Amino acid sequence: MQRSSTRWYVAGAIAVAATLALSACGSGFSGGSPTSSNGALTSSSKPLTVLIGSSGPAETAAVNSQVAAWSKSSGTGAKVIAASDLNQQLAQGFAAKKPADVFYLSTDALAGYAKNGSLLAYGDQLTNKSDFYPSLVKSFTYNGQFYCAPKDFSTLQLIINTDMWQAAGLTSADYPTTWAQLETVSKKLTDANHVGLSISGEYARIGAFMTQAGGNLMNADSTKATANTAANVSALTEVKTLLNGGSLKYAKDVGAGWGGEAFGKGLAAMTIEGNWITGAMTTDYPNVKYKVVSLPKGPAGAGTLQFTNCWGIAADSPNQAAALKLVEQLTSASDQLAFSKAFGPMPSIKSAASEWKTANPGLVPFLDAASYAQGVPTADGSAAVVTDLNAKLATLGTGDPKTILDATQKNLQALLK
Amino acid sequence: MSETVKTAPAQATTNPTVPGGTPPSAGSPRPTAPKPHHRPVTVRGIVARSVLYAVLIAIALVYILPFLIEIATTFKTDADAAANPVTLVPANWSTVAIQQLFLNSDFPLWFKNSAIVTVFVTAGRVFFDSLAGYALARLHFRGRGVVFAALIAVMSVPAVVLLIPKFLVINQLGMYDSYAGMIIPLLVDAAGVFIMKNFFESIPVSVEEQAHIDGAGTFRVFWSIVLPMARPALVTIIILSFQGSWNELSQFIISTQDPSLTTLTKGVASLASGQLSQGTQYPLKLAAAVIMTIPVAVMFFVFQKRIMNTSEGAVKE
Amino acid sequence: MSTLTSRSRRSGFRRGEAASGWLFTAPTIVIIGLFVVIPVFMALWVSFSDWGGRGSPFASTVNFVGAKNYSTLLAGGGLDEQNFGTALRNNAWYVVLVVPIQTAVSLILAILVNRAILRGRGFFRTAFYFPSVTSSVAITVLWLFLFGTTGAVNKVLSWVGIHGPNWFNDPNGVLHNILSVVGVKTGPAVLTGNTFLGVSWWDWLAGPSVAMSAFILMAIFTTSGTFMLLFVAALQNLGGDVTEAAMMDGANGWQRFWRVTLPQLRPTMFTVLTLGLIGCWQVFDQIYTGTQGAPGNTTLTPAYLSYTAAFSNQNWGQGAAIAFILFVIIVVFTIFQRWVLRDRAVSKRRMRLYRVPPADPRIAAASAAAASDSTEKTSGGAS
Repeated sequence: MQRSSTRWYVAGAIAVAATLALSACGSGFSGGSPTSSNGALTSSSKPLTVLIGSSGPAETAAVNSQVAAWSKSSGTGAKVIAASDLNQQLAQGFAAKKPADVFYLSTDALAGYAKNGSLLAYGDQLTNKSDFYPSLVKSFTYNGQFYCAPKDFSTLQLIINTDMWQAAGLTSADYPTTWAQLETVSKKLTDANHVGLSISGEYARIGAFMTQAGGNLMNADSTKATANTAANVSALTEVKTLLNGGSLKYAKDVGAGWGGEAFGKGLAAMTIEGNWITGAMTTDYPNVKYKVVSLPKGPAGAGTLQFTNCWGIAADSPNQAAALKLVEQLTSASDQLAFSKAFGPMPSIKSAASEWKTANPGLVPFLDAASYAQGVPTADGSAAVVTDLNAKLATLGTGDPKTILDATQKNLQALLK
Repeated sequence: MSETVKTAPAQATTNPTVPGGTPPSAGSPRPTAPKPHHRPVTVRGIVARSVLYAVLIAIALVYILPFLIEIATTFKTDADAAANPVTLVPANWSTVAIQQLFLNSDFPLWFKNSAIVTVFVTAGRVFFDSLAGYALARLHFRGRGVVFAALIAVMSVPAVVLLIPKFLVINQLGMYDSYAGMIIPLLVDAAGVFIMKNFFESIPVSVEEQAHIDGAGTFRVFWSIVLPMARPALVTIIILSFQGSWNELSQFIISTQDPSLTTLTKGVASLASGQLSQGTQYPLKLAAAVIMTIPVAVMFFVFQKRIMNTSEGAVKE
Repeated sequence: MSTLTSRSRRSGFRRGEAASGWLFTAPTIVIIGLFVVIPVFMALWVSFSDWGGRGSPFASTVNFVGAKNYSTLLAGGGLDEQNFGTALRNNAWYVVLVVPIQTAVSLILAILVNRAILRGRGFFRTAFYFPSVTSSVAITVLWLFLFGTTGAVNKVLSWVGIHGPNWFNDPNGVLHNILSVVGVKTGPAVLTGNTFLGVSWWDWLAGPSVAMSAFILMAIFTTSGTFMLLFVAALQNLGGDVTEAAMMDGANGWQRFWRVTLPQLRPTMFTVLTLGLIGCWQVFDQIYTGTQGAPGNTTLTPAYLSYTAAFSNQNWGQGAAIAFILFVIIVVFTIFQRWVLRDRAVSKRRMRLYRVPPADPRIAAASAAAASDSTEKTSGGAS
């Protein structure tokens, strides 16, 4: 192959030329369509696509029926797609410039998509804007702009297996209201067959302890890293104590995928989960009797984490005006209560609260937390930091809380540069 | 990979009657294999043989048991699967998992998509690989060396490196989220071209030359004379592409998002990570895994026999 | 026919041949060009750009950022570097363990099933090969069950009194575990204090996590069959007598195995090692299906990290950069392998000159087949 070097050169040149030709023809990508973040929404007769990350058939059916109802009344076509991997499908849709018009968007994905211009910041144009809980609005505010309407929300509370509770000789007077009481009851509830308390070993559960101690990983706007504060150290120390005492075990360590499974299978007498656990309890573990109570207060009082998704609208949607109308409908009290009935989420608007509480008397502690619950970090890249933190929390039993949080602090600060 | 490529042509020589060298073909008896030996049977020999069998059976168990457990678990209830993960007979037979799979999930759709993709990819590879392999083995044209060298270079590009860029190109070509985007990038594989080239080089030229003299065109010669002789190698390509496209995952991840285009691999992967339901639900997941394994297993067993039977007399020299 | 007419006919045939040649290879060239060559160039550009994943990477708003994506990964000092270092560490241990073990296991299996006296060797070959035909997704699902906390493996271990580990949820490094048994729980300051790619040397030396070990066992389980067939083909090519004699005669045979059989298997051995190395650096399917990098990022691999960086985190430039670094690693390993092999290849060729029996084409084709198959198996990637 002596002569082949020149041939290679030619082949390479052809390849480069082909690349250029390909990029020039660019049917899939049309450069620079205007992002109408301030002002006029695009409008056309095109039907809407709604991409959802569904928790199951019940959720898919409920969204389908509400969207279909809206479609009928508005005359705009709309199709619901249940994603198998929402993040990946969204990313590919944006890159292809063929995104779904309306989609579920998580708090940790907001910043990344807002930054690269994929999202329409329509929050201020919502007619029901003032009805959303302020802390939820904050979760979907990036660079001072309210991007998208909170779809619903959940908070963490303490779930108790009432049979085990009684078997351990405990009464309703013993529901823990302090960390010390939590330690006591979980010790009492631990026996050879089950552990007192089992939770998923991740920030999304352990973070509740941080808020009870008066801390959290970042401030409410996710503009400042506050990971290694004394409050957070004391929270992790408390969890570590529980772990080493044997009355708290991570769900994975008892052979369950998440806290709800450990709880439902009777591997744990208590767990810390959100209101989504009710769905699993009804379908998978209908025989387990349980009660939801507020999480114990920490040194700084009541605290818990809240989780929420919003209805994102794509900047590249050809029919943003209709999309906005659809979102307003889907976040209305009637639609949110219908969703709640179908698969259990809590309405993101204040005006639906009392009706929801009446309909779900056993779940009131979840909604009551709306006034004090805190969101998870939303800064761009924070999801990776939390993943890294979760990795370290998996070995919290042998780790040093301060060291763990120092590393997280460093990583969070790097995001804000 | 490139190392294989480098040494392989030197090794490929003359014997056209030997099957194309699929992995299963090695199971066929070799003509020159040593005959059962004539040494007198000694006590030592018997002991040695027993030990050999014991060891082999033990290892075989390690290789087979997981699959037996997998099948058994398919017919267990969730609770039974969790409590008795090893037993090969379910406490009480349950087809709930399979029912749920076929009646309450998109599993049939995934199966259909996998089948469509596999059929097209296999047909495409058989045709294009042999076409290119024949050209590289037999036809003399300027640039053949470059094409062949480029092919080898391509074989050394690791597939995972291409995940992101392949998505970009598929998207750029407007094939994103379509069967075309799933199938076309898989239609040719360099290794297949390589196998076919090797095979064609091993058949004598005389037959083709006679046909050319009789006035047949190049494609005609290829299609009606050379290709039928290449059956063993084609079987290799069929097996490899069937297996390759049925088991392919990353290509489908990056080329589609529409749930109606989900294939078995992608669907079962999402099932495994708990998208369809919460909790472990092993019978359901293992049922999916078992069923998606059946076609390749059938393919494997069918062709294994067939290769052994067709190993003689493809061409008379 | 005379030589003259034959030649003129043939040269006439040749003229058409050029066109046919290009025509026949055109589909291959177009498809491979479009979906391998051009993608590589596009990704190269993306890895040097700040493309955020919206619209075309060639749009005017996308800027050239030099080697920024690479430097963030290799010397950024942040989480990206640490994750990349962790992924490399995980995969390096995977390679270090899977490649030699799968080679040894497949060689042993090949020698066992190649015994002439053996009845039912078709059965054994099938049994050992079968895991190789199943998809990595299906095998991963099975593995998640077998190695679950209360799964089959731990059940079997409990029969012999061993309390099995929490396999896929156990992030502890195997070597660290062994060291802690002998009382070493924290490393010397020189190892814990200094880092490489954001990971301390002590953590580099942690060994694969227990979770990764389950994947290592899986890789050996699924690939040893393919490579066994390569060895079987090579062994048969040696002529049964040598192997037979070497194997049957006890200690003496053992020596002859080392001195006679093994050196002759060297070319196949190198093929298997090379294929193993290339495949093992591309672990993706198992991680995507099974653990998504958990527990504690200890099953994160560069291939999977590249995917998530781009598709989940909108860091497309970084994702592409990871892919290219991985590419370089694989190329370097391949070249190294070739360099080691060069000497042998020559002697092998010379050997063939003097020895009569031609090599079995099955070996060549089977290795090509195995090439496409094994990369798929070990890595789960496409061919």
